[in-house]
This record gives sequence, structure tokens and C-alpha cells, in this order.
Amino acid sequence: MSIAENTLEETPWPQKIWQALARRVGWLGVLATVVVVVAAVPLLFVIFSSSQLSLSGWQALWSQRLPGLLWNTLSLAVLVAIVSFILGVSSAWLIARRNFVGRKVATWLMILPLAIPTYVFAHIYTILFEEEGWIGKTWLAVFGDSVAIPDLYSVWGVTFILSIAGFSYVFLLVRSALEHSNRSLEEAARIQGLSPIAVFWRVNLPLLRPAIAAGLSLVVLHVLSDFGAVSMLRYQTFTLSIYLQMNGRFDYQGAAGLSMVLVLLSFTFLIFERWSRSRQRYYATGTQLRQAALRKASMFEQCLIWSWLGLITLFAFALPMLWMLDWSLQAWQQDLLDESFWGYVSNSLIIAAAAATLAIIAAFPVAFFHTRKQSTLSTSYIQLSSIGFVLPGPVIALGVLSFILFVLSPLYGGLAALLMALVVRFLPLAVQSQEAALQNLTPSIEQAGRILGAGPLENLRRVVLPMISNGMIVAWVLVFIDAMKELPATLILRPTGFDTLPVRIWIEASEESLELAAPAALMLVLGTLPALWIMMRNEKQSVSKV
Amino acid sequence: MKKYWQHGVVGLILTALLATASIVQAEELIVYSGRKDKFISPLIKQFTAETGIKVVLHTAKSTALLNKLRIEGDRTVADLFISNDAGNLQTGTRLGLFQAIDKDLIKVIPTNLRADDDTWVGLSARARVLVVNTKAKDLDFVKSVFDLADPRLKGRLAITHSSNGSFIAGVTVYQQSTSESVVKDWLKGMKDNVGGKLFSKHSKIVAAVASGKKDVGLVNHYYIYRHLAKHPDAPIRVLIPDQQDMGMGVAWNVAGIGISKYTKKKALAEKLIAYLVSEKGQSQFAGANSEYPTRIGVPAAAIVPAAGSYKVADVPMRDLGTHRIATLDLLDAIGMP
Repeated sequence: MSIAENTLEETPWPQKIWQALARRVGWLGVLATVVVVVAAVPLLFVIFSSSQLSLSGWQALWSQRLPGLLWNTLSLAVLVAIVSFILGVSSAWLIARRNFVGRKVATWLMILPLAIPTYVFAHIYTILFEEEGWIGKTWLAVFGDSVAIPDLYSVWGVTFILSIAGFSYVFLLVRSALEHSNRSLEEAARIQGLSPIAVFWRVNLPLLRPAIAAGLSLVVLHVLSDFGAVSMLRYQTFTLSIYLQMNGRFDYQGAAGLSMVLVLLSFTFLIFERWSRSRQRYYATGTQLRQAALRKASMFEQCLIWSWLGLITLFAFALPMLWMLDWSLQAWQQDLLDESFWGYVSNSLIIAAAAATLAIIAAFPVAFFHTRKQSTLSTSYIQLSSIGFVLPGPVIALGVLSFILFVLSPLYGGLAALLMALVVRFLPLAVQSQEAALQNLTPSIEQAGRILGAGPLENLRRVVLPMISNGMIVAWVLVFIDAMKELPATLILRPTGFDTLPVRIWIEASEESLELAAPAALMLVLGTLPALWIMMRNEKQSVSKV
Repeated sequence: MKKYWQHGVVGLILTALLATASIVQAEELIVYSGRKDKFISPLIKQFTAETGIKVVLHTAKSTALLNKLRIEGDRTVADLFISNDAGNLQTGTRLGLFQAIDKDLIKVIPTNLRADDDTWVGLSARARVLVVNTKAKDLDFVKSVFDLADPRLKGRLAITHSSNGSFIAGVTVYQQSTSESVVKDWLKGMKDNVGGKLFSKHSKIVAAVASGKKDVGLVNHYYIYRHLAKHPDAPIRVLIPDQQDMGMGVAWNVAGIGISKYTKKKALAEKLIAYLVSEKGQSQFAGANSEYPTRIGVPAAAIVPAAGSYKVADVPMRDLGTHRIATLDLLDAIGMP
């Protein structure tokens, strides 16, 4: 018996790998590795299933589906990005640069659409656009029979829905960038004789590029992974096509093949986006920053501002909200809301809160590992953790389901599968906002803590966590909101008898019982409001600190 | 602040565990159901009241539930599976997800409305008929579904998207009754006639025909009665197609139920099936949606044309599953929207 074999017996090989890993990347790296491996489970499922797809299977996909799907998906992404850009940047600029009556209210109105899921938007607007719907009736009254009511079941309809559902991300990021940005540059440009519009194009816009890129990339990723709106409006994107391949033909390999293409597409986009952002960073040093009084808008300008913001609000929030209130009232009057309804509400809150909490815990090592020492490994970890955004919900659900059944089968039957899918799905949100928060944490602060005698854990508790608590809260809120709204994975993975609000909305909407879908949608919106409030309050605090 | 946070986490985990624990119970059946909740719930409540057996309905799309059953394998918690489409039921049989039901129990249902190995049984049937606007002109030539491909109907025809389950099932029946080339030409003709304007829901087809936007539509029969119940004066009527001497007859499709292969409660599950195929259960299950009870001798709602009063296409319901992929391939090849 040789010596090598002896040592092998003493330390089994998994432990050896583990120790080697710990030596190379530290315990933080090990934790990050575990998280990333778990997050990559659905991707492994896709790679495995698509590897079983035969060459002729690929050829069939390539010749029959891919060209149309690529065109549909990409053109939709571009259209939604353009519309979201117009809506998000214009509203952010008006609110950050002009003082007008009701400015605070306007800020709220621009982020409230985040509380409404795309499938609720799609469901409500298909009803409103019918001939007997509010918009249909108005349309007929104005144009008569001569001009047909716009057809929502088209690329324009889907663009409309996804833009009003997504522009708020652009608004949030651009507004915050504008409020933090250096006013003296704008003033200098004005003094040099540029008109306000020229200042916007030549000073603001270039400075805002990172924020706009980040906002638009969120929007585009939501478009690529959206299932609710495209399935309700029957617009063939990758997500819908993958779903049909899986559920119409029971063809996992074909579905996995399509998912593979979608993953490559999204990763290309993500890498491109990261690369373009890494070359565009603008710094404002503390001394240059000052709070300047906002220019007061004239009466005429106020009217213009409010008609534009009012128009956005009308479609992105007011109309859907009124519809929900109207039908909820009818449900309430008919006494249709029984105990089980409140059960759905609490199920939704529990699952979203648990998913958000787990996601920020899981995201921490990944984000911290990356900010500590940026390496190829840590960057690839960050990219791998964005799998959730890249793969469609139904595919994530099946990947997680297979994993739990074959690897962690004792956990099957409870909430574990659903929670894991939600965490995997929304991990990128948590990682990104924590990473942003951690960037304020220079190594010198940590070193100071260590020099003053704090151990690594105490340092974490007393220095690191307090400094990034705001980022943590924002991360928690973002995941909470998206987990509340999540539909496709929840439909597949929820334990039997465990219905959440999105599931009920889906069931009632497909049964066309509006008076039952509406209260569920309304509760969903109301349930996310406190989360939005926490986020806004938090943001304000961090702004006033600067 | 942090303490509270920690308590919150512990609390959530406990709640999650409790929620898991409370799901496991005796004398309880778990049904994966692809049929609308509101059609089943009243019937299930009645069953629970009579037998004391609790039933949990886990509702989602039939196809998604089949996928779930397939991946879960012997780990599944489902005892029964209900679908609105014979194609899905037969696919479940093909994937080996069901077990045979006691023959004595289901022999009251005709053999062409259940699986040949008794792994599923049809509970209610629906007919694929035409809805016609009574004021529409030049429609006398429409006698068969194949007449819907006639260029005279350009712009006047309403059909659903070809990914609709009922549409797919209908196409399968026509293909079994005639030939692939007939169906191919028919689909091409309809594709020309609708010019890209398709309907997402059957109810909207009926509404469009009632309002005169379209003259004729292809739907399941109960959508017409549902519309007439709300608008008794709507100018629409039912046209039962393919009743000529050599006509193939109307396409039927059934909703049905199967017992999960891995259930540990087969006896309990058969109690539910016994209830569903009883005369009372039959008229409840079908009656909830003006469908036809599959059990011979149980009449459908009075407004619906009686079963047996017209010719039905001679295609066993299991064919809707065995030939489903062929139909999908055909629809794909034509590029049916």
C-alpha cells in the first residue's frame, strides 16, 4: 500500500477539495461558491437536457423556430427599451430638476407601477380594450367605427404593457443619479450659453449613461424573462415558446435547446452591459456636491409637466387601479371574499418575505467576495448568479424540481422547492444592490476595525453590516416585490393547496371571473406598497446624508 | 433592531415548517386539476359532505400538471389527475403516470370515452360546433367544418389560436376521420380567411359573432349557451356540422380523470371516481358547464341538443393523445397562427 493511498483514506476527497478551495479563496469564497453552485442548478439542468438533443433536433429548431423567435424577442426588447427610456428619463429629469406643486406625489406615482405585475396589466388592458371596456367605449365614442380599436395581441400591445410595467426602473436609477450628480457642470454649460435642452443632451445625458444603461438592462432582462404578459397576449418570444415546447409537446430537450440559446443571448447582453458600464464611471468628489435650489416651474410649465406625468400615471397606474377597485367593490358587495382569500394573502406575504430574507443572506457572500478582491473567479460568480434573470421561470422551476427530487428528496413536498426557485430567480437583484452598497466600503475602513481589535465576525457585525444596511434593505425590498408577483415558478412548485395571490389571479383570470381576480390583484398591489415605502424612505435618507 | 430581524427569520422558518406539516393528513385526496375550479368545487364540497373525505384541489394547466407528475414520479403527492382534454389524459397514460381503475366501476361509461387499459375515464363531453349569426347572408353553403376554408368566408370567420387545446383536439379528430391532405388544405384555407386576426378565447368568438363583427365561428358548444344565458336575445344559433349523409359527424372531446400510479390511497380515490360516475355525480359534473354526461342514460341540460340526436365522429377519445404530436407537427408545418 503506497503512502498516497494512505492519505486518501484519511481525508476523503470531497473534504480535500473543500480544504484546497478554502485555502485558495478563503471561507468567504467557499460560501460564495456554495451559493453560486446552487444558483447554477437550473443552468446545469438546461445544459444536461439540451446535450441530449440530437443534431437533427437542433437543425429542426434552427430552421423552424429560431429565426422567428430571435426576431420577435429582440425587436420587442428594443421597442420596450426605447419606450421605457422616453418615459423613465423624461419623468426623472422633470422631477429631479424642476420644482412644482405635488413633486413628491409625482415621484410616488412614477414608482407605483412596480407593484403591478405584467400579467395583471395584460389581463386588465385586454378587458379595457374590448368594445365594452372603458378604453374601447371611449375609442368608439371618439373615432366611431371607422378606426379599429388597437389590437393588444400584437408587438405594439406587448410593448405597451411591458413598458408601463418596466419604465419605473429607469426612472428610479436616473432620478437618483440626477440628484447625486454635480450641478455645477450644468450651470457652467448654461453660463456658456447652452439652452436647457442642449444642456440635457450634451451634459446630463452623457453623465447619466451608466444609470440609464443599468435601468434599461433591468428592463431588457425583464422583457427576456417575462412570461405573464407574453403568454396572455400570445406573443411568441423565447419564454413562451419554451413553455409551449415543454407543455404542448412534452419535449424537454427541445425546450432546453431553446433555453440554451436564450441563455447565450442574455449572457452576451449582460457581459456587454457590464463592459460598457465599466468604461463609464463618473466620480463626484464630496466638496463639489451641494444642494442647489431647484428651479421653480412657471404655471405654464407646471401644466405641461403635470399633463405629461398625468398621462403616464393614467395608463401605468390609475386606470388599472380604478378597474381593480371597481371589481373588488362588486366582489365585496356580493360577499365573495371568504376566509380562503385571506389565506392567499398571508401565503403570499410569508413566501415573499421568506424568499427575500433568504436571498439577501445568500447574496451577501457573493457580493462581498467580489468587492473584497475582484478576480476573474469573483466576476464569473457574479455573472453566474444572474442565471435567475436569464432563464424563464418555468425552466427554473423544472430545474429546481429535479434537483430537489434527486438530491434533497426529504425536503420535497414543503416550501423548500418554491423558496429555492424564488431565491435563485431573484438572487441577481439582491447581489446587484448589495454590490452597489458594498462599493462605499473601502478596505481602509475594514482594516481600521481590525487594527482596533475587532475579530472578523465582530468587524462584520459592527462595521460592514451597518454600513451596507441601506443596500440590504433595498435588496430585500426588491426581492420581496418580485417574489410577491412571481407566477410561473410558483404555479409549478407551490405545495398542494398552497395558493398565493398570483396563482389565484391566474386561476380566476383564466376562468374569466373578474370579480374574483380583481381583489386578489388589489391585495397584491397593497401588499407591496409598504415595501416600496421602506425603499423610498431609505433612499431619501441616503440622499440627505450626502 | 437586529434582534427583531433575527426573530423574524426564525418565525418565518417555523411558519414554513408548520405549513409543510399541516399538509399531511389522513382521509384526504389530493387532486391535480386542470379543470376550472368553479365547475368542480361545488361537486367536491358535496362529496366531502357525504363521505367525510377531504379533497384538496391543486389547480393549474393540465399540461403543466402532467409535467409535474412526470418529474415527481413516485414522490408525487397527487392521488388523482383531472383534465379537460382527452389528449392530455392519454398522454398521461403514454407516460405511464396512471394506474388502471376498477373495471366494474367505470363500465357504465362507453369504451370509446375512456382509455383502452382503463387508466382514465371520461366524465363529461363537449361538441365542436359552429356558432352562426342569424342575420348573416350567404351562409347556406356552410354544412361542414371543412366549408370554413371556403374563400367566400374571407374576413367573416372566427377561430382560436392554434395553440388552443380544443382546437388541436378538433383537428386531430378531423384528421382521423378524413386524411392529412384534406385537413392540410382546410387549415390553409382557414388561415387565408382569417388573415392573422385570431381569437384568444372561445367566449370572444361567440361575442364577435353575436355583435355581427364575424358571421361564423368554430367553438365548443357550451360557450354558445353561456352567452345566450347572459344575452337571451343575441342573434346567434348553433349549427351542428357534418351531418350530411356521408358526413363525418361532430368532433367530441371529453374531460376526465385518472388515478396516479403512485398513490397510496387507491381505494379512497376510487370512491371519488364512483361518485363522479354515479348518476348524480354525472349530472353535476357535466351540468356545471352544460356539457354531456358520459354515462349513458344521464341527460344533458335541456337547452343542449340531446346526445344521440346527431351524428358524432367515430374517433375514440384516446386517439386525441396518440395523434397529438402529429397534429402539432401539421399545424407547425403550415405555420398556422
